[in-house]
Amino acid sequence: MNWTYLINESLKQMLDFAAPILFAALGGVISENSGVVNIALEGIMRFAAFFGVWGAFNSGNPWVGLMWGVLIGALLGAFHAYITVKWAGDQIVSGVAINVIATAMITYFLEWIFKTTGYSPTVAYFGSSKYLVNINFIENIPVLGAFSHLHILIWISLILVFVLHFFLYHTVLGLRIRSVGEYPLAAETLGVDVLKIKWIAVILGSVIAALGGVSLSLGTMSSFTNSMPSGKGFIGLAAMIFGKWTPIGAMLASFLFASAQVLQFLLQAIAKGIAAKIPVGFYLALPYILTIGALVGVVGKAVAPAADGVPYKKEES
Amino acid sequence: MKEVFYRIFVKRQEKYWWMNILVPVVSIFIALIVGAIFIASTGRNPFLAYKYLFGSSGLIPGPYFKSHFSEMLIASSMFIATGLAFAIPARAGLFSIGAEGQFIVGAITAAFFGYYKPLANLPTIIHLPIVLLMVIIVGGLWGLIAGYLKAKKGINETIVTIMLNWIAFHLIEGWLVTGPMKADVATGVSGTPYVSPTAKLPIILSGTRLNISILIMLFLVYAVWFLLYRTVFGYELRAMGYTAITNMEAPKIGGVNTEKRIMQIMFISGAIAALGGSFITLGVLFQYPPVFEGGYGFDGIAVALIGGNEPVGILLSGILIGALRTGATSVQLVKIPKTFPAIIEGLIVVFIALHELIRYLLVKAITKKKEGVSV
Repeated sequence: MNWTYLINESLKQMLDFAAPILFAALGGVISENSGVVNIALEGIMRFAAFFGVWGAFNSGNPWVGLMWGVLIGALLGAFHAYITVKWAGDQIVSGVAINVIATAMITYFLEWIFKTTGYSPTVAYFGSSKYLVNINFIENIPVLGAFSHLHILIWISLILVFVLHFFLYHTVLGLRIRSVGEYPLAAETLGVDVLKIKWIAVILGSVIAALGGVSLSLGTMSSFTNSMPSGKGFIGLAAMIFGKWTPIGAMLASFLFASAQVLQFLLQAIAKGIAAKIPVGFYLALPYILTIGALVGVVGKAVAPAADGVPYKKEES
Repeated sequence: MKEVFYRIFVKRQEKYWWMNILVPVVSIFIALIVGAIFIASTGRNPFLAYKYLFGSSGLIPGPYFKSHFSEMLIASSMFIATGLAFAIPARAGLFSIGAEGQFIVGAITAAFFGYYKPLANLPTIIHLPIVLLMVIIVGGLWGLIAGYLKAKKGINETIVTIMLNWIAFHLIEGWLVTGPMKADVATGVSGTPYVSPTAKLPIILSGTRLNISILIMLFLVYAVWFLLYRTVFGYELRAMGYTAITNMEAPKIGGVNTEKRIMQIMFISGAIAALGGSFITLGVLFQYPPVFEGGYGFDGIAVALIGGNEPVGILLSGILIGALRTGATSVQLVKIPKTFPAIIEGLIVVFIALHELIRYLLVKAITKKKEGVSV
């Protein structure tokens, strides 16, 4: 067995699985640090995955698809912010609304635009050799080799973790976002425009989640299927809580989850003897069981930003 | 995250008490208008869409009313179940997304005890209660996993319920239905074997599929209302919700055994969602199919939110969503995808979320009128 190849392929697959979850989790991190819960991540990903394909279908260029995905993410973020920030509406209700609409409307759009049920035609995507980020000279090095032929969205997801870490903890705007999520009244007293900061954080978070949607349909896949994102937004939500509302924590949680997925594939592939008799359902359930196990064993209690989920209302004078 | 919920329970003390009814009604109305605009913008006739949608929803008398009406109530009973399953923990400040998994756990449990040979020759009056009891126990225990981890280890119930949904799904579809519970190949049935006739839910309207599931749910709506507002348990449950914002410190000081309560709440929630799942096995499909068309659990969240997490509200919103889904297939007759009613459902939730705006506009409109009269 070629170990270098096996390690690199597994790691590559892990990064591939992790990217959409990581984007969703990072989107959640930004939004919730400003105190706005966004359980619409799932719906935003579905919208972005579809419009990404739609954009790439019309133009033949995945970058155009990416732009459409980002645009739709920003629009949905603005929608969520309008309800929850402007009108202090319930954040869970708004999020559920977006999720419900996403499922229904995208199925509708599929039938209306592509005249198909369940899947779109294949389009130009980031996983095709033309758009891959090739770093040939590290190809045969163990571990590093996994990074030799990744698509651009995986790279963006990885870089974004550190950008957002820097942004949240080392910039003024990041500090303001966190202060608004922890103690909005104090922030207001210090002259921070609480509502504006929340608007920015929600839209930014939704755009990042939208990247996750695009990485589903235009990353490794080259089309939209109706089973996208099938819970990846919720898993991202879980990864965000798991990672204690921090970008790096979210990354580690996404990696853990994606590793469990790869482990499941590996186990299934190399299963011999008794292991081959274990029903496939157990393998498929394994990542989720491991996640609960990790929560029980390692992570334990997580503390959300103090004012997370609490709508902020300006005193009316 | 659960800090969100304290707002839901805080009933507004205001002049216009009837706003609490008017706002949802206006929200539904606006959602229908926006839905019509959407239909029109995609080049279709909105009037035809609504004519077909409501004509076969079971709400308005018309041709085949009896069968539409019964289908509507069958669907509604499941939505009410998952709605209650979300609302009960929510009232205590717990955010459970586990109804989807609990629903299919209930469905598979009902299938098993429905076809299990040693029980199959018992009369319905004995067999059916045994099946439902097992559904309640298994579903409750499935819900209790998240409750136990939350109460004893302080682990976020949201993550655990999301994971449990997937575990239930994969264990059922990837193991039980294709393995130990697979129907005999010789019978040509895929999925689990069909349940014994003695385990089927009795029909209450001859000539239709309408069964006792809706009566069970009506009883449960009453039971949950009673539990919430007429028992110490309900009082403590709501107290936990009110104080979720202070990390449950206050009820602990007040003598509430929050750990025990959390586990009880999650057990009850899981049991009710599982009952909803058993309705589909015992009243509609009579087996667990190889591929299950889910979503009842997630729709339950919407139902609970439209109903304001109140048992009676959930009864009404469950019926509304059941009606929209029943009318869904007939909109295809006018070349409108059958997911259109789900768009309406989402839009209703949107305008429910915008209740502040609607309230503001309504109050403004009404006060203006009054001023006009007085002048």
